[in-house]
Amino acid sequence: MATKKYWKGLEELNNNPEFVQKANDEFAEQIPVEEFLGDSNLVTGGTNRRDFLKFLGFSVTAASLAACETPVNKAIPYVVKPEEITPGVANWYASSYYDGNDYASILVKTREGRPIKIEGNELSKITMGGSNARIQASVLSLYDSSRITGPTINGKYSKWKTVDEEINTNLGAIAQKGGAIRILSSTIISPSTLAIIKEFIAKYPTTKHIMYDAVSYSGMAKANAQSFGQEIIPSYYFDKAEVIVSIDSDFLANWLSPIEHAKQYSLLRKVSNQRSEMSKHYQFESNLSLTGANADERIPVKVSEQGKVIVNLYNAIAKASGSATLTSSPLSCDSIIQKVAKELLEKKGKSLVVCGSNDINYQLIVNGINQMLGNYGKTIDIANPNYTHQGNDSAFTDLVAEMDAAKVDAIITYNTNPVYTAPATLKFDKAFSKVPLRISFADRVDETASFANYICPDHHYLESWNDFNPTKTQYSLAQPTISPLFAKPTYQGSRQAQDSLLKWIGNPSDYHSYIQNNWMNSVFAGQTKYTVFTEFWNNSLHDGVAEINTTSSSNSGAVAGQGTTNFADAAQKINAIKGSEFELSLYEKVGIGNGNQANNPWLQELPDPITKITWDNYVTMSPADMKGHYKLMARQDREASLVNVTVNGITVKMPVVPQPGQARGTVGIALGYGRIKAGKLSTQTGVIGTNVYPFTQIINGTLSYTVLDVKIEDAKEHTEIAGTQIHHTLMGREIVKETILEKYKKDPTSGNHSEMVHTNSGLKKAATIDLWDEHEKLGLRWGMTIDLNSCIGCGSCVVSCTAENNVAVVGKQEVIKTREMHWLRIDRYYSSDMSKDIAAEKKEGAISMYLDMENPSALNPKVVFQPIMCQHCNHAPCETVCPVIATSHSSEGLNMMTYNRCVGTKYCANNCPFKVRRFNWFNYNGNSDFAFNPTQDDLGRMVLNPDVVVRSRGVMEKCSMCVQRIQEGKLDAKKSEKPLVDGRIKTACQQSCPTNAIFFGDLNDDNSAISKLRKDDERNYFILEELGIKPTVSYLTKVRNCETTIEEGKEIEETEKVKA
Amino acid sequence: MDTICKRPQKQIFALLSLLFLSFILNIKSVSAADGEKLFKQNCAVCHSLGTNKITGPGLAGVMSRVPSEEWLHKWIKNNDKLIKSGDPYAVKISTFDASQMTIFESLSDDEISAIIGYIKAPPAPKVAASPTGVASGTGAATESKGVNSLAVLIGVIAFLIIIVAVLRGVRHSLKNLQNEKLGLPEEEAIGPFEELKRWIYSHKRFTALVVLIIIGALLSAGWYALKDIGIYEGYHPTQPIAFSHKIHAGDNAINCQYCHSGVEKSKTAGIPSVNVCMNCHKGISSGATTGTTEIAKIYEAAGWDPERGEYTKPQKPIQWVKVHNLQDFVFFSHQQHVKVGKQECETCHGDVKSMTTVKQMQPLTMAWCIDCHRKTEVPGMKDNPYYESLHKKLAEKYKGQPITVDKMGGIECAKCHY
Repeated sequence: MATKKYWKGLEELNNNPEFVQKANDEFAEQIPVEEFLGDSNLVTGGTNRRDFLKFLGFSVTAASLAACETPVNKAIPYVVKPEEITPGVANWYASSYYDGNDYASILVKTREGRPIKIEGNELSKITMGGSNARIQASVLSLYDSSRITGPTINGKYSKWKTVDEEINTNLGAIAQKGGAIRILSSTIISPSTLAIIKEFIAKYPTTKHIMYDAVSYSGMAKANAQSFGQEIIPSYYFDKAEVIVSIDSDFLANWLSPIEHAKQYSLLRKVSNQRSEMSKHYQFESNLSLTGANADERIPVKVSEQGKVIVNLYNAIAKASGSATLTSSPLSCDSIIQKVAKELLEKKGKSLVVCGSNDINYQLIVNGINQMLGNYGKTIDIANPNYTHQGNDSAFTDLVAEMDAAKVDAIITYNTNPVYTAPATLKFDKAFSKVPLRISFADRVDETASFANYICPDHHYLESWNDFNPTKTQYSLAQPTISPLFAKPTYQGSRQAQDSLLKWIGNPSDYHSYIQNNWMNSVFAGQTKYTVFTEFWNNSLHDGVAEINTTSSSNSGAVAGQGTTNFADAAQKINAIKGSEFELSLYEKVGIGNGNQANNPWLQELPDPITKITWDNYVTMSPADMKGHYKLMARQDREASLVNVTVNGITVKMPVVPQPGQARGTVGIALGYGRIKAGKLSTQTGVIGTNVYPFTQIINGTLSYTVLDVKIEDAKEHTEIAGTQIHHTLMGREIVKETILEKYKKDPTSGNHSEMVHTNSGLKKAATIDLWDEHEKLGLRWGMTIDLNSCIGCGSCVVSCTAENNVAVVGKQEVIKTREMHWLRIDRYYSSDMSKDIAAEKKEGAISMYLDMENPSALNPKVVFQPIMCQHCNHAPCETVCPVIATSHSSEGLNMMTYNRCVGTKYCANNCPFKVRRFNWFNYNGNSDFAFNPTQDDLGRMVLNPDVVVRSRGVMEKCSMCVQRIQEGKLDAKKSEKPLVDGRIKTACQQSCPTNAIFFGDLNDDNSAISKLRKDDERNYFILEELGIKPTVSYLTKVRNCETTIEEGKEIEETEKVKA
Repeated sequence: MDTICKRPQKQIFALLSLLFLSFILNIKSVSAADGEKLFKQNCAVCHSLGTNKITGPGLAGVMSRVPSEEWLHKWIKNNDKLIKSGDPYAVKISTFDASQMTIFESLSDDEISAIIGYIKAPPAPKVAASPTGVASGTGAATESKGVNSLAVLIGVIAFLIIIVAVLRGVRHSLKNLQNEKLGLPEEEAIGPFEELKRWIYSHKRFTALVVLIIIGALLSAGWYALKDIGIYEGYHPTQPIAFSHKIHAGDNAINCQYCHSGVEKSKTAGIPSVNVCMNCHKGISSGATTGTTEIAKIYEAAGWDPERGEYTKPQKPIQWVKVHNLQDFVFFSHQQHVKVGKQECETCHGDVKSMTTVKQMQPLTMAWCIDCHRKTEVPGMKDNPYYESLHKKLAEKYKGQPITVDKMGGIECAKCHY
């Protein structure tokens, strides 16, 4: 037994990364295989018998030598153990996420002082326990080794003391001569930060603070200023809106406060025996967005026609209610607009019209519509504004002009990256370099920070104190959950931006106490629940959120400025908009969003919910246009044609993918890609995608994310794209069952019919015929039910699962080979123009029917999302074929996967009807081809969940139903000597779902929520149950509030057809 | 002995007198030992016998500082009272430190006298003979044992070979002598290997049998050797500090959970952080077997300056060598076994109380785990409401049979592997 530690050399003693790498390799040095075999033909020729024997002998020897080593493991306890830490037990802290775009109150799970998982905070009145993919993934961004480790001066690391001194001298000199200082940031909703900036301005009175959002809502705020005299964005209550009309607003995935909206939206979308009403959702849009995919009726319109849709809708409502109409131009979808108007009028005060455009005129008329419908004070709350997007586009353009004219002497940028995000026409980088003193708080040398003289890296939000005021009444706190990763003595370390500002204004307070003081004076005074400040503070910190009392009669219907708006002028401008052959609409993806987390491999590998493509952005085009105009590759698989997209003289070459449902004559491209300085990911994989922010333009003083004249040319080249789903329709199978609300009201089982078979005792349900014995009803039996009516396909669960279960990132090339590792995927199916009914009607043969079925409806398909993970079949096909019994069934109903027993035959995956088993083709944790994997990075490894094994090469893995959480929850109950409480154990996917679509619990407990749901809800079904596999996961039929289902195919496309 | 046996009365008398004598002697030694015991129980947490400050001042030369022994008596009993009575020396020393000394009204006068007696004449601090010697000693012992048995074996084999060679020579000479007598020609002189070869040719079946047996034996030995790979039963590495569980858990009867406090809260029992060691070792700077050397290593790790009685030095975590290693793909939970399953530590760790260096007593293989799960009834199960319904159902199913861990799913893969 090795009792002493011998160093193999200084390398090991110093533990340098190269040595560690070598030590982790299976063989210390390259094995001289060729020399050993002495056969140069080996590479070209096959292996002969002698070679095989040589290999065999060699590998047996190597294996036995490797096995004989005795490991010496060290156990190093704390010197002084922090009181709150028990090794092996997680601590949870309430905090808040806000990156200038998404806001959520969150809980952070830390193990031994490392944050490893983010979950939604159920105490928040805004996000109500929800989170999204970007927030789930943000924990990995903490451990990003591309972050800089200390302040830099002109690109060279320096010391905080030097930096502070130099900046103070410079700022002092500028103040002396009265030079202009500018602070450019994304929206700041931290009251304390704003107070510090105020103090900064007091010290340097020539300072101006400009907020600029990459994806701006400035037009909305400006429209509201015209309509109501307040430049604000109201809160929207989708849970009170029975008719929702959205014109190009992706409110479930990106628009304003998507988590909040998704929570609210889902409340009126759930049906049950008690409630058979649901909201009706119309979506007019060009790109097929996540929200559009969930709409009951989706009407594809060209980008240039969106404004006209609003005007015509205004007119239809105005006509019915006797108000003045506006000049309008006829549209092909006018008949639908009339129908929508009628429904809206029926639900006055219970409806909502939203528009995603950043054009003031669009928003003005939308305001007019909502006013006519009496929605203010009911579904729209002006008295409780949403502060999360306050970017002011005109102030930003003014700043650029000012900088270009060399009138700015110093600029401080905070949480913004305009060199990357600003429109090309502004030439921001040129103007920016004319500023003599450029200070950045960026945590990495990003596109903008690389222009800065001084980079004063800010902490990651998980290392920071902060406070937020997302809406007028709601406050929340962020607290550090880890001590700063980069700190003295090893590094100069990062420093909270607010602390830097405090230093520069000579305020000796630190930000933590500054927030406390600020809260004592403002938030504490605004509430009445607590009388002692420390009590209030401690409770707010514990809960993560605080609320102030609203003094005004909140949500009053009285709206100032009504009628003063010049709708006619707005309509005039809208009618003047002229379209062209191709119009471009830029959008955000649920994963990458505005691109601030582009260096996060979890988000890059998250498939887009609609196209299912990873690691890239691309042009989405209607399949009809692809064939008609260009003969581009309209296949939806691994290869795509490249096209040259030209906007205002800028040409980029990008892949083009067919997007069913894309309005004809329009194309869509996602923002947030093509970051060249996001971090190491772009150096490891090459620049991911193309930056299309330069295509944005300033129109009427606001940023426009649409281009009405875009030139698209076939580049006559092909490229690879990595999609996770290449089959797009259901092919007549009932994997997703759905019905329409009218039928559901009459018969709750509608759409949910089972396969029947003839037996000698008559017709029987296929699922009831079984070769196997039933399982015993002992103890616990876990089950999961997913409500397809609630699932919006947002992908939050996918990232949550990745974080919880240490799922490997495999990269683009492996995704192309269908080797992605996600335990949970969301299948997206389009309707097809062909169905069995239609084929029977047209008397088509089976072959041509199935060939037609493969093609999704090009013009306006219906879309369904279905989360698929291991179905934990009670009679699992995978279990019976494993030659080494590495997968077996537990008495609690789980299909267990034992990695250490698996020998990698892959029989189980072949026999799985759901294709949920994932095979580790490579050692993703050590193979340098997968260097982007977080597990290959000293910092990235810290995100791993220590309760889940990191799988190695050659083993199968799959959803375990978060067995580590089950074990933990059971153990807690056992220790407290109480029966297990239903709902105590939540799987990662369930917790992160913003629409509560996932139910999990004990099926043997008749009183558990899931048992009741399965018993009471006739929509409950199991996929492929006719195979007799008895899945544990069930689904609830999707109910659409419209006339047709996915299988019934065609519907209101006729108008579109006419146009096409 | 003889005489005692012969005279029983005298024997009893001798015994009684011996008892009496030992009783008298004992009274004296009890009193002295009491002083030491009482000091360690009540005083050592804050006071050392040397000059160094812990929380209170070091007590070396205390008798020359205080006004009188009587005064010290009063001070120990209730220092607060003494300060309040306005005693000048008491008031003076009350400003020594912000923290006030504990009041010991519960100590009897005799006990305080015993403590003072102990303070007056403290035992001389022990210095370890050679702590490094202890560490290397065990290693050397194991090694020499291995060498010895091998040498003996080689010696025996060499001896036998020599004997065989000599006997062959003797036999050859005798045969030749006999042949000479009988007038036969001299026997052909062949080498030993040639002879063996001829013998094998003439005994083919027997040879084949022997060869088969040898191959079989080698294969089975190889099989068992392979099966033992990765099993480290008996592993007892040398630790960076010669910590003795025998002294702590055995002699001083410190509860396991005092140091391994995670055992009921976490999956890991936890190795105590250095600050836990310092709870006691702030006062105890000298050990029974190794003197001050080993405890000084704790001070070094904790950054404790024993002279000044302050944490002033840099902290250095102790790198213990892990004795019980489970593979990374196994999740073993101490709280499940100790808190819920009410298992004793000794079941898996053996009699740690008697171990100087901890040794892995069990193979820690999966077979061993499962074996236990098949045999063990869960003691905590019956009274735990968590198991109520499950226990009822299992009792119905296995009428009368003991309900062991495996019957409630305790040997399913995902209980430990995930």
